[in-house]
Amino acid sequence: MSRATTPPERPDALAGIRIIECGDFVAPSYATKQLADLGAEVIKIEAPGRGDSTRLRGPFVGGRPDPERSGLFLYLNCNKRGIAVDLRRDEGQEVLSRLARTSDVVLHNLPPAEIAAHGLDDARLRAQRRELVVTSISPFGLSGANRDLKAHDLNLWCAGGVATLNGGGPGTDDLPPLKGFGQQANFQAGLNAAVASLGALLAALSTGEGQLVEISTQECLTSILEMTYEFYPYMGLVASRLGQKPIAPLDFLECKDGWIFICCVEEHQWQRFVELIGSPEWASLELFENRLSRAANWDALAIFLNDYTREQSVDELYHRAQARRIPFAPVSTMGDLLDSKHLKARGFFATIDDGSGGMVTMPGAPYQHAASPWRLRTRAPKLGEHTDQVLGELGYARAEIERLHAAGVVQ
Amino acid sequence: MSGSAEQSRAAGTTGARRAPLAGVRVADFTWVWAGPFCTLQLAHLGAEVIRVESQGRVCVTRLLPPWPEGQPGINRSGYFNQYNQGKQSLALDLKQPDALEVARDLIRSSDVVVENFAAGVMDRLGLGYEVCRSLRPDVIMIALSGYGATGPEKDYVSYGPAQVPLSGFSSVTGYRDWRPMHIGISYGDPTCGLHGAVAVLAALIHRRRTGAGQYIDLSQWEGTMALLPEAILARTIGGAAPERDGNHDPLWAPHGVYRCEGNDRWVSIVVADEEEWRALARVIDGSQGGPQSARRESTLAGDARFATAPGRKANEDALDEIVSVWCRARSAEEVTRLLQAAGVAAFPAMTAADLHDDPHLGSRDYFVELPHPEVGVKRHMGIPYKLHGTPLGVSRAAPCLGQDTDDVLTRVLGYSSERIARLRAQGVLS
Repeated sequence: MSRATTPPERPDALAGIRIIECGDFVAPSYATKQLADLGAEVIKIEAPGRGDSTRLRGPFVGGRPDPERSGLFLYLNCNKRGIAVDLRRDEGQEVLSRLARTSDVVLHNLPPAEIAAHGLDDARLRAQRRELVVTSISPFGLSGANRDLKAHDLNLWCAGGVATLNGGGPGTDDLPPLKGFGQQANFQAGLNAAVASLGALLAALSTGEGQLVEISTQECLTSILEMTYEFYPYMGLVASRLGQKPIAPLDFLECKDGWIFICCVEEHQWQRFVELIGSPEWASLELFENRLSRAANWDALAIFLNDYTREQSVDELYHRAQARRIPFAPVSTMGDLLDSKHLKARGFFATIDDGSGGMVTMPGAPYQHAASPWRLRTRAPKLGEHTDQVLGELGYARAEIERLHAAGVVQ
Repeated sequence: MSGSAEQSRAAGTTGARRAPLAGVRVADFTWVWAGPFCTLQLAHLGAEVIRVESQGRVCVTRLLPPWPEGQPGINRSGYFNQYNQGKQSLALDLKQPDALEVARDLIRSSDVVVENFAAGVMDRLGLGYEVCRSLRPDVIMIALSGYGATGPEKDYVSYGPAQVPLSGFSSVTGYRDWRPMHIGISYGDPTCGLHGAVAVLAALIHRRRTGAGQYIDLSQWEGTMALLPEAILARTIGGAAPERDGNHDPLWAPHGVYRCEGNDRWVSIVVADEEEWRALARVIDGSQGGPQSARRESTLAGDARFATAPGRKANEDALDEIVSVWCRARSAEEVTRLLQAAGVAAFPAMTAADLHDDPHLGSRDYFVELPHPEVGVKRHMGIPYKLHGTPLGVSRAAPCLGQDTDDVLTRVLGYSSERIARLRAQGVLS
């Protein structure tokens, strides 16, 4: 690369890189959001009429369901242009082919059996441009017996082995394995897709050769089971949501105005906590003499601790504990997050045009680059907002664009 | 198992099959999970990752189970061995004055520095960003701290399990009418490890074009909130955050995990549209005597309460009960087979044993089984993405502590054997 040219002040990390996003729902949107927010040009292709199904999910600006006012969609698609093209039609696939000729990455999550029918076969796309990276996100990968099984987010959270780790603890056999809030399997797949696509992009910049990149969402989840999976090959033990925590206190307790997470992993943390609460007599009971016995006698300990925490405010106890280097955390409500002085000082939350005359506040940068900063430049596109503009750039004449509209190929 | 020929190609440095990060060296000052998970991604993509470790401050994951035969040992933990595959280990006691020069030499010859100590620790060690940049002007340095490098709480202590409640996840995760709950893992750690990998890869592309390195500040608190937009936006747009509601979905029903035949066996079922609903109703009605023999209104397909998506959502408790009864008489595998054949998304809640023995995962060359000097060959999870043009492979099992010390000092830093012997005698290399 030339180093002679003076770079503009704080240029975007991925300026000049063009990404095409196809498919549906959270995973491809979050993958390309990573790239768009660092300066890549992202063109999102949605299905005419229906659009991305995140448009059907709230929360909605104005309270009523409206595909142009979904908070989830607004969050996932800032900094992108949006076009609506029916990729099941030959003329729609021609639009995709033309886009591929000037793009660096095409990223999608079409089910494996439907990839070719949507013009997303990687060999066909890479014939348009040798450097092109084609990234496929699917539930179970592009090979193997489960390749064509159908799976939504909850199914994948279960398939990846994360759900069985979460539940109510001992004695709650009647309660099912529990998911985390939201579309977390999709988010994990999207993050892995961003990592793998950037890796392939770096390779393409060096070699001039693009390639097919394949993400299995199930595998993404099996790769984040902390130490729990290895208990089986190493010791023949299967981790369960019904097990007793090995050490304590490491639990949620109720305060007068909310919940706090009590966390004493090291003995010195426990000792400082005991001092903080005024060294009550019960704290010197043999039952609670170390973290293992505190776990074995957690039922009793929780009663004593609850008597204390019920009189405290979450915020005060959190800061008093942290001042003594005890790693407590508040069980933050969404309101707490938005009011946090720390997050405000760091400027975490971002505010952007909601597309209907108002402004919406949303999570901001997950990482802060000093030289090539994360930033929101434009609001999320309305369905088909940039169809004519992008087709024009691809060389379609006005009359041809109108004909494609009339034929329902584009919107 | 990935073929070893393929693995050596991936790790190699020539030809079109060069791994994307071949030739990129990472000085890895991380520990526990978030940081090592970030550098694991870079190792997977072919970077040479050198973990700086010491006997005096052993990585927490080396001290935690599981251990084979239950025998502890700093090289025997499955936790460490899972998340440090493909990396090298340099033993260096950063508390020793002469260790600082070694660390600085390593940074001088590295493209990327990754650390996840509390804010300020690297500065106190004499290895802060300004020092790194003076050693290597185009260095990319990322800090993955709990609270970020700035702000009034930057010095607060952060533990993985506490990030889940801090980030807001616990307040919206849990059974209906229950207290706040966890997710089952320290979810902020891998989430921020992946965000960190994205940040580093983008910075490498930026460096290719501008020649400039940079500093990246990643707050695990913030990186975790990035995955909570529905709840945060519910508050900023609608004024109220969602209630804890178990496995339910705001739109779709049934959407749950249901008990099956057997000892604590469960299956997930999700119906997202009318076609899937008709298919589910057909399977359940059909297996209960067939639609001909039943009166239509006593079938699921004919039950007016469930005729529309809003109806199913409004009556989801009744619907869950019907689905539960049907699942309970069958194995999770049979439910999955019957429903998938009809086009309904269903899958068992997999345990570690299920995953270990899963023929699908096995057929995809996903598992890694490489020899390790102290634990032998154990099955580990591999790389969840495949690059078809530059195949990736885990190049080696996780290192024993200090396993690569001499190699790194000789090959990478060019130290003489006399210098290495002197450092060793001073206790710097432990």
